[in-house]
Amino acid sequence: MPSNDHYVIIGNGPAGNHAADVLRKNDPDARITLLSNESMLFYYKHKLPALIKGTIGDTELSVKGARDYKEKNIRLRLGQEVERIDPRENRIYLKHMEIMSYTKLLIASGASPRVLPLVSNFAKHLKLFSSFTDALNQIGDIRNGRRYLVLGGDLVSFKFVRMLKSMGKEVDCLLYPDAFWPFTLTKDMAEAVNKSLTKDGIRVLSNDGLKSMNQTCEGIDVVTDNGYTATFDSVYAFLGMVPNISFALGSGIDTDRGILVNDHLKTNFNNVYAAGDCAQIYNPDIKSYWLSVGWKNAAVQGAVAAENLLGAGYVITPSPKSILSVEGFTVDTSWWENFD
Amino acid sequence: MSRLDLVVEICGSAGEGTISAGEILSRFMSEEGYDIMSFDSYPAEIRGFGKCVAHTRISRGGVLTPGKFADVLIALNDIHSIGQLSVLKEKGVLIYDNKPARYHLEDQSVVGWLEPGMTPYGIPLTELSIKASGNARARNMVALGAFSALFGIDRDAFTESIRRRYGKKQQAVIDSNVNSFLEGYAWTLENVRKMDSFRFDGMSAEVKRDQLIINGNEATAMGALAAGLHLYAGYPITPATKIMEIMSKELPKRGGIFLQTEDEISSIAHVIGAGFAGERAMTGTSGPGFCLMSEFTGLAVMAEVPAVIVDSQRGGPSTGMPTKHEQSDLNIALYGGSGDSPRVVIAPTCVEECYQAAVLALYIAEKYQTLVILLLDFFLSNSIKNMDPPTAPETKYLNAHIVPDAEALSDYKRFRITENGISPRTIPGTEGGMFFATGLEHDERGKPVYDTVSHTRMTEKRFRKHKGIATEIPAPEVSGYEGDADIGVVAWGSSAGAAREAVEYANEKGIKAACFSSLFISPFPESELKLFSKRCRKILVPEMNYSGQFANMIARYLERPMERLNLVTGLPMASEDILKKIEEIEYL
Repeated sequence: MPSNDHYVIIGNGPAGNHAADVLRKNDPDARITLLSNESMLFYYKHKLPALIKGTIGDTELSVKGARDYKEKNIRLRLGQEVERIDPRENRIYLKHMEIMSYTKLLIASGASPRVLPLVSNFAKHLKLFSSFTDALNQIGDIRNGRRYLVLGGDLVSFKFVRMLKSMGKEVDCLLYPDAFWPFTLTKDMAEAVNKSLTKDGIRVLSNDGLKSMNQTCEGIDVVTDNGYTATFDSVYAFLGMVPNISFALGSGIDTDRGILVNDHLKTNFNNVYAAGDCAQIYNPDIKSYWLSVGWKNAAVQGAVAAENLLGAGYVITPSPKSILSVEGFTVDTSWWENFD
Repeated sequence: MSRLDLVVEICGSAGEGTISAGEILSRFMSEEGYDIMSFDSYPAEIRGFGKCVAHTRISRGGVLTPGKFADVLIALNDIHSIGQLSVLKEKGVLIYDNKPARYHLEDQSVVGWLEPGMTPYGIPLTELSIKASGNARARNMVALGAFSALFGIDRDAFTESIRRRYGKKQQAVIDSNVNSFLEGYAWTLENVRKMDSFRFDGMSAEVKRDQLIINGNEATAMGALAAGLHLYAGYPITPATKIMEIMSKELPKRGGIFLQTEDEISSIAHVIGAGFAGERAMTGTSGPGFCLMSEFTGLAVMAEVPAVIVDSQRGGPSTGMPTKHEQSDLNIALYGGSGDSPRVVIAPTCVEECYQAAVLALYIAEKYQTLVILLLDFFLSNSIKNMDPPTAPETKYLNAHIVPDAEALSDYKRFRITENGISPRTIPGTEGGMFFATGLEHDERGKPVYDTVSHTRMTEKRFRKHKGIATEIPAPEVSGYEGDADIGVVAWGSSAGAAREAVEYANEKGIKAACFSSLFISPFPESELKLFSKRCRKILVPEMNYSGQFANMIARYLERPMERLNLVTGLPMASEDILKKIEEIEYL
């Protein structure tokens, strides 16, 4: 019997796309709509630096093309932002003033760069970089500029710093070991990072902070707490991520930092699930919520959430440890509990 | 959108300022030195909420067609614009209202239907319009402001252009429009992140403030007035009414006569009467009106009275599709009416040619004392093009009335058999120049006769005029590959622009294609066509009618098989369709 379900997935990242594929495979007749606030097709975020450098184009950035969605009869709505959800009425209100209905909803809206209180006074001078849209907007500035300051507060910042350096730019990096995300950089790790970046010609500002920033016609004049002064074309902040859940606040769906879900990835509404960077997942073993990061975790959660939307009842378990090398140190990137 | 060739569509409901916005955009881009071609579509109903689309192509180096697909769609009405997404290019841009007065139901928002690869820019058109002008009526101007900010168009220059456009209106109207434009511009600059790469700045062209921005109807009217038109009699009909509107204003100023008659039969009767009285006269209509006139066309031929009929073709037989395009009146123009009835048929291929065609029509009608049919079509009548002001017609085109000399008047024969078929003509009241003029076959004095010899001689005389006319017609336009071509495209009327463009594209793709078109359909440059045909391995005839009326006509000249492209979409011929056909048949 044909399905009358309309699955709506908010988010076009690994969680959303894996979920859509699983849903289509198991429910060939259902309507599936994938919503994304970005205009770009599902893409590899880690390739954005290559896009900026010009070594790859849009096509190589894409995980899959538009045809794939058409063939699977998955309606992809790009550039459309969710304003709010009404889970009691099974409705989604889109920012462009359209009301959508769903029978089952998966929230896989990912996370965005955060601005920590310690730099919030300088927010208007800071550029954030995490998406294709950011890359497109900043590609000109980056290619044409000469000198940059990077606030190094997460793993992506190191990649970004090296990308700038490889483009022949002058780069200063202000490290924030205590506010590092999603784990605190130990003293040994911070020293290793410092050494490694310095070796590559990057000036690392350690044990320092921002004192003032002023926009002048020459650029942004920066003074640090230790008295270091310099003028930069742009200042980029990489200080971790925060789940994209503003549209769910006040909707009745339980939230904390992220969307609160049980170990089946189900929210407090039976037909609403969440997966990926936006989900805060309950672990009965420790009686607390966990947050995951990374492509692999998101993909697994997306698939499990989809199975459960179809009625499977699977329990999500942490994926095998994913060991990442951070300037010579290894870090488990699978799960973090203390994500402040 | 890598090269400067941008097609912008504005889609809205009747009454939302859609067509005005398109006209304002076209005018400004023309003033900035770009080549533009616009083509609007609107519902047949005069009032209501039907779909309107203002389509403008902005380019450098000339435009031959409005382009089938759009790079930018500005949606003033979501429901109507959803259907228009089918013409948005794969990487097209959508500008839409993201803060309408009320929520759309599911799937009734245009952005919801956008295909991946297209870029949406949500602008609060309604909100900004209310802020700037106190009501939502200026959403079109907000949208133009947003468009300008997104595509790097000079804000101040555009603002000045809007002021000029509304120069004669009340200050409040000017302010409302300008403020709404500026509001849209500022908001977009502040809030929208540019996702596509096309910008106009850095590609500025030479500013041309004195260019004309006119459609085919206006160019036709201008040409007729420049050629000394004295009387215009007409009955309103889409898409020819604009000619009538212009004449109603302009002719009285020039001492001429404008008449809105009770029907088309009366219109052509007035024209023939004025022609008989020695004045240049014209009427304008569309297919249904032309049918009514067809009986009188025979009188113009038989009585050898100058008469010019503009037939702006529209879709279908009978009332058909009044606001849709077609080229299906060729047969009636060539053959409509009783008896052997030679007539001149002129079919301009672009707006600029409409001016020239009107001058030639009046000149030839007067000089050869015959019926001239000027075939426009819905697209040509309504497509807007920028062009340099035309030069005034040479003196010879202004007075071609061949009058009898004193010797001829001494024994005046109005229908004297002559070598070129032209008999000197008197104006009624000329002393010694009296004659009979009826619809009956006649002798040289006009007296009705039915004998074999007279009828044969008079028929030959009337047809003989075409030999003289053939010597005066402009050379056909031949473009594209100059050597032996694989494909020769023979086109007519407004489809010729699309054919030329398709041939250009084909040449760029390495296909040896060439194009042939003639302003005159009757008489037709037969020998030139045969020469063209000789160097083409295949002949393709594209036209916007089902039965291949033009192809059937030239089949008489070219005894060879021809490929045909016959479309009745109600839309102008697109170069993309012709190119596709060229590619299909290239290797056959």
